[in-house]
Amino acid sequence: MTESHDHDHESFDGGGDADVEEGRLFGVLAEYDTPGELVEAARRVRDAGYTDFDCYSPFPVHGIDDAMGIKRTILPALVFGGGVTGTVGGLLLQWWCNAYNWPWNISGKPTWSIPANVPIAFEATILLAVFTTFFGMWILNRLPQVWHPFFRNERFNHATDDAFLLGIEARDRRFDPVATKKLLVDAGAISVDNVHLDPDPTAHHMPKWITAFIVASTAFALIPFAIAAKARTSHSAEPHIHIFPDMDFQPKYKSDQAMDLFEDGRENRGELSGTIARGSLNADDLFYRGLENGQWTVNFPKQVELNEQTIRRGKNRFEIYCTPCHGFDGRGMGAVPTRVAAGGGAWQARNLVDASNPVAIDMPNGQLFNTISNGYNTMMGYAAQIPFADRWAIVLYVRALQRSQNASLEDIPTDHRSDMQMPEAPSK
Amino acid sequence: MDSHHAESGKAREAFRAVTRDVAWIAEAPKPHKLWVAVLGIALVMFAIGVYSIYVLVTTGIGVWGNSNTVCWAWDITNFVWWIGIGHAGTLISAVLYLTRQQWRTSINRSAEAMTIFAVMCAGLFPLLHTGRPWFAWWMIPHPNDMQMWPQFRSPLMWDVFAVSTYATTSILFWYMGMVPDLATFRDRYAARGERLRAIIYGTLSLGWRGSARQWHRYERAYLILAGLATPLVFSVHSVVSFDFATSQLPGWHTTIFPPYFVAGAIFSGFAMVFTLLIPARHLFNLKHIIKDEHVEAACKIMLATGMMVGLAYGTEFFIAWYSGNLFEKFTFINRAFGPFWWSYFLMVGCNVLIPQFFWFKKIRRTPVVIFVLCIFINIGMWFERFVIIATSLARSFLPAQWSYYEPTRYDVGLFIGTIGLFFTLFLLFFRYAPIIAISEVKGVMPEAHAGKKH
Amino acid sequence: MSALTKSLHPDEKYKAGKIGQSLTKIGAGIAVVFLAISVVLGATHGDHWKRFLYSYVIGWSYIFSICVGVFWLVLLHHLVRGRWATVVRRVAEAMSMAFPIVFVAGLVFVIPLVAGYTDLYYWAHPDAAKCLVPAATGCHEYLNPTLVHKLGWLSPGFFAVRYVVYGVLYTAMAAYFHKKSREQDDSGDPNISEKLRVASGPAMIVYALITCLVAFDVLMSMAPKWYSTIYGVSFWGSACVGAFAALGLVVLGIQRTGRLTHSVNPEHYHDIGKWMFAFTFFWAYTAFSQFMLQWYGNMPEETVWYKYRLFGDWQWVSIAILVGFWAFPFVFLMSRWTKRIVPSLVFFAVWQLVFHWLDLYWNVMPSYDWLRAEHDGATLVSGPLTGATALHHVGFSPLDVTVWIGLIGVLLVGFGRNLRGNLIPVKDPTLGMSLAHENL
Repeated sequence: MTESHDHDHESFDGGGDADVEEGRLFGVLAEYDTPGELVEAARRVRDAGYTDFDCYSPFPVHGIDDAMGIKRTILPALVFGGGVTGTVGGLLLQWWCNAYNWPWNISGKPTWSIPANVPIAFEATILLAVFTTFFGMWILNRLPQVWHPFFRNERFNHATDDAFLLGIEARDRRFDPVATKKLLVDAGAISVDNVHLDPDPTAHHMPKWITAFIVASTAFALIPFAIAAKARTSHSAEPHIHIFPDMDFQPKYKSDQAMDLFEDGRENRGELSGTIARGSLNADDLFYRGLENGQWTVNFPKQVELNEQTIRRGKNRFEIYCTPCHGFDGRGMGAVPTRVAAGGGAWQARNLVDASNPVAIDMPNGQLFNTISNGYNTMMGYAAQIPFADRWAIVLYVRALQRSQNASLEDIPTDHRSDMQMPEAPSK
Repeated sequence: MDSHHAESGKAREAFRAVTRDVAWIAEAPKPHKLWVAVLGIALVMFAIGVYSIYVLVTTGIGVWGNSNTVCWAWDITNFVWWIGIGHAGTLISAVLYLTRQQWRTSINRSAEAMTIFAVMCAGLFPLLHTGRPWFAWWMIPHPNDMQMWPQFRSPLMWDVFAVSTYATTSILFWYMGMVPDLATFRDRYAARGERLRAIIYGTLSLGWRGSARQWHRYERAYLILAGLATPLVFSVHSVVSFDFATSQLPGWHTTIFPPYFVAGAIFSGFAMVFTLLIPARHLFNLKHIIKDEHVEAACKIMLATGMMVGLAYGTEFFIAWYSGNLFEKFTFINRAFGPFWWSYFLMVGCNVLIPQFFWFKKIRRTPVVIFVLCIFINIGMWFERFVIIATSLARSFLPAQWSYYEPTRYDVGLFIGTIGLFFTLFLLFFRYAPIIAISEVKGVMPEAHAGKKH
Repeated sequence: MSALTKSLHPDEKYKAGKIGQSLTKIGAGIAVVFLAISVVLGATHGDHWKRFLYSYVIGWSYIFSICVGVFWLVLLHHLVRGRWATVVRRVAEAMSMAFPIVFVAGLVFVIPLVAGYTDLYYWAHPDAAKCLVPAATGCHEYLNPTLVHKLGWLSPGFFAVRYVVYGVLYTAMAAYFHKKSREQDDSGDPNISEKLRVASGPAMIVYALITCLVAFDVLMSMAPKWYSTIYGVSFWGSACVGAFAALGLVVLGIQRTGRLTHSVNPEHYHDIGKWMFAFTFFWAYTAFSQFMLQWYGNMPEETVWYKYRLFGDWQWVSIAILVGFWAFPFVFLMSRWTKRIVPSLVFFAVWQLVFHWLDLYWNVMPSYDWLRAEHDGATLVSGPLTGATALHHVGFSPLDVTVWIGLIGVLLVGFGRNLRGNLIPVKDPTLGMSLAHENL
């Protein structure tokens, strides 16, 4: 005989449970001695047509699924769906980040490198499948549910220890206070108890303080997100908060700071007189200054190759640095003069190609070079922006521009002349 | 009728005994003195680790022995070692479940706990070795005002995903397995009228009722999780091995690495499980649950995985010669006869020779000897990672880069600290949680079939 | 999940009777017909039997791999005191007893090699031997130091010696486990199980070692400069896929004759299917590891192997293997029903057996063309990337299939010869548990 027999329990007659202190009848709970008897009892209850019943045991009893007629759970299908979502999501994430939104060459690998994306796609598959399994199982099992009417029965405490129980709920359409109990006893129950709901209806609901706690803690947990959301949508004049100063503030001098060490109180030191920095000698007058025997040269230095490639380079540089004032055609009406004119003013840059006032056409190459380097009148020098070779390339392009802007039909090869009769030339 | 009741009474008594023998550890009003002593030691070790981390974070990783040449050393060695140890837990809980090795039920809970704690220790190292752990959140792909995304083609990013997936899965698997046992604890405290504890365990057990319909989905979910955890455990240590094998460094770049690392991980993990459980089963009177047969089975697994690791060592050497690659050949000769020869022979000695003792049944049945051998294996597997990482780096392509590696006190301190953390967590687990999977043990007892008609 | 047992059904027909002889006859018929066709085709192929021998190596690796995989189940079953497989273990033992015939069949390519045939393995070519002489002239560029140093290992003589050693070891081990198991049928001595369990440990070690080496010797040395440490493991994974598929089909075939109908049920097929699924995954894991690491490392001496497989026609074979040998069966074998419903299991078993062959074909056949091309002076540079696509032509020949089917006939002879006496180990102590086996 087992311990459970020592408890007081109601008689099997089914009539002794009209206790005024109890609430509505929730169901009956029968106890069986062994897992084997539980399986047999479950089979009989199911054969009798009951549906709202369940068995309770400290471990999964072999064969009980069959006996109770439990349908196989759909969980595997859900998990498969979760896994596929993970695979696709993992691949998409990597594609979007590394191949689409921010393509970046890493060790010569293609930006979308599928072999290198397999491990993370795999991990994402597992992760989502695991989440689906874990949360899916609890949801399908309708847990967490911390309270159940059967917990009111003392025997039920042993369902997680050594007891094998079968409970039939009163809402089952075949439930009958007497016949149901008889069925359970006939199936070998060592005890059958009625289980009632708590007479106090408030006990059927979650206590208010728990609800309040859940709501409050959820609200509290949202505060950081609210702060982040506010920060993302507003501006602040304050500098960032440096929790870890890292290397942002280092004990060192930056350019043009004051410094006590030197007499002049400056941290920057100038060049020493009589010295030239390595690589800055620039002894070649022709190339670096456009001078030949003290005169502006009419030639090009030998470092400049006179070919189409250089002209194209010059065109490219010209269009970056010169066109704002001189215009694409070199006639001095670039964007800046155009805007001046629009404002009612009258100023234009030097017309570089004007045959009627050929100042720029007559300038020797060296002088053009010097003008680019050091400026002329209101034009500033471009030595700082444009390397020497590029300045010569611009000179070459200006020469080409002067030629083309003053060309006649004879200058065009005969087989291309017909192209000039196109009714509408592009306006640019 | 009498014999029937005698049988059923015996069955119920057996079930109750399992519950009682596990639950008493948590229910005992005072912990074992030895438990307190070991916890004290573990906390001191943990404090050393915290101090080492403090110095490291406030100064920089220059406090370690790492150099330009040996840029990964104890940090990554410890990372791989810890994560490998974790793998035995998953193997026991998932792979042995799928292959229906019923002896696993006695040790799977504590092995799973070990997994989680080992992964926690492991996770510290990659985090700290970046030198700026406060930027760790950059590794999470999220829209940010730097307009940058993680670089998913890097094996180090794979690591982030693999290890975090592994940690998550291990925790969920462990927790799910524990729910029915937490319900057992709940009911025991409720029966004794200890309301506070009953509420805590009741909340943790989610209101588990042990209903057959719940068990049905629960078992299915458990099987699926085992099925998912098995490829996961392969992938995690494979990804760890990719950290090395995708490079071109001789000694790192070899295709056997993924399965070889997995076998090594299981090997070292089993050694750690039994380093913990052999004293524990003695201390907490669990010898009738964690039986001698179970320890013996684990010895055989250590023997088998030790041989696999040995086969991989051999294959590497053979192919280093077979390939005709001079750098490859040099690296392997250097491992055995170079300046780190001592670590190489420690590795081979502990990982290949020591497990050979497990051929003898007498040794497999002598817990003290097994305990000592397990410690040797733990050491050997630590040195395996050290040999792979440090010796390969210390002698890479250019002789001008060659150097030697020596750890500093902060290297050692952090390692000690993680051991302290691991033991602290494990001891707390042993005191407050159901350390044996009570419901699973009951399910595989012969009594679980009591009263069945055949 | 339980220690439930059942006893053998009284009406069970577990005697082999004539099926062994029938299978032998069928196998012999297939072998004779298809190998005869192959010989004719090989002789007329116009390349001095080279294609024939290449196809033969593929076919031989195929039948060998099935024996290797099946024998692994036998060893594992003893090693871990397996239970579910006891009812099919005798069939597995009989199948693994095909080792001697398989190794005799392999002599067809080993003997020419020893006799001086040079076109099968590049390392057997006289050019290779020339280079062994210091400062040799006429040593081909291809034979740079990454090959010369191992010509002692990869020499026809030593190769043949190893081949014999492998054959003897496999045969001896398989015979021991088969013989002892049959002894138990007579004596019913439970100690025999214990003995076999003890023997299975060392046997597994020898098995692992020589299986890796066979894969290195017979298959990996087809591309003699290329190397991969995981190659043996990967071959074994592929082998086990084929072996579990073959085991399932053989057991089903036996059931079709009215035998074992009570003992082997969907529960056991479910487990065979699970193993097939597991190894499909495992093979993919090893194959991916090998590919990804060599792709990522991007070292020419390694990527050359994939270069000849991932471009030109071969890329379609590669994709077919990825989809056919892994993705498709992987997705469908996940479900329990594909493994339990017999027609579906048969479909996937046949499918995987075909793709296992394609996998071996893909491993070996690219060497047929590119080694010749390199030898003839085409350098490594002229490849698919520079437009010499002829090298990457799959160049399928009917020989490839006829030799394969002929060798399957040989394998069936090997199976049939040992399908005699009891088809299940009737006195094995674990038989009851195997009979009562149920999947969760």
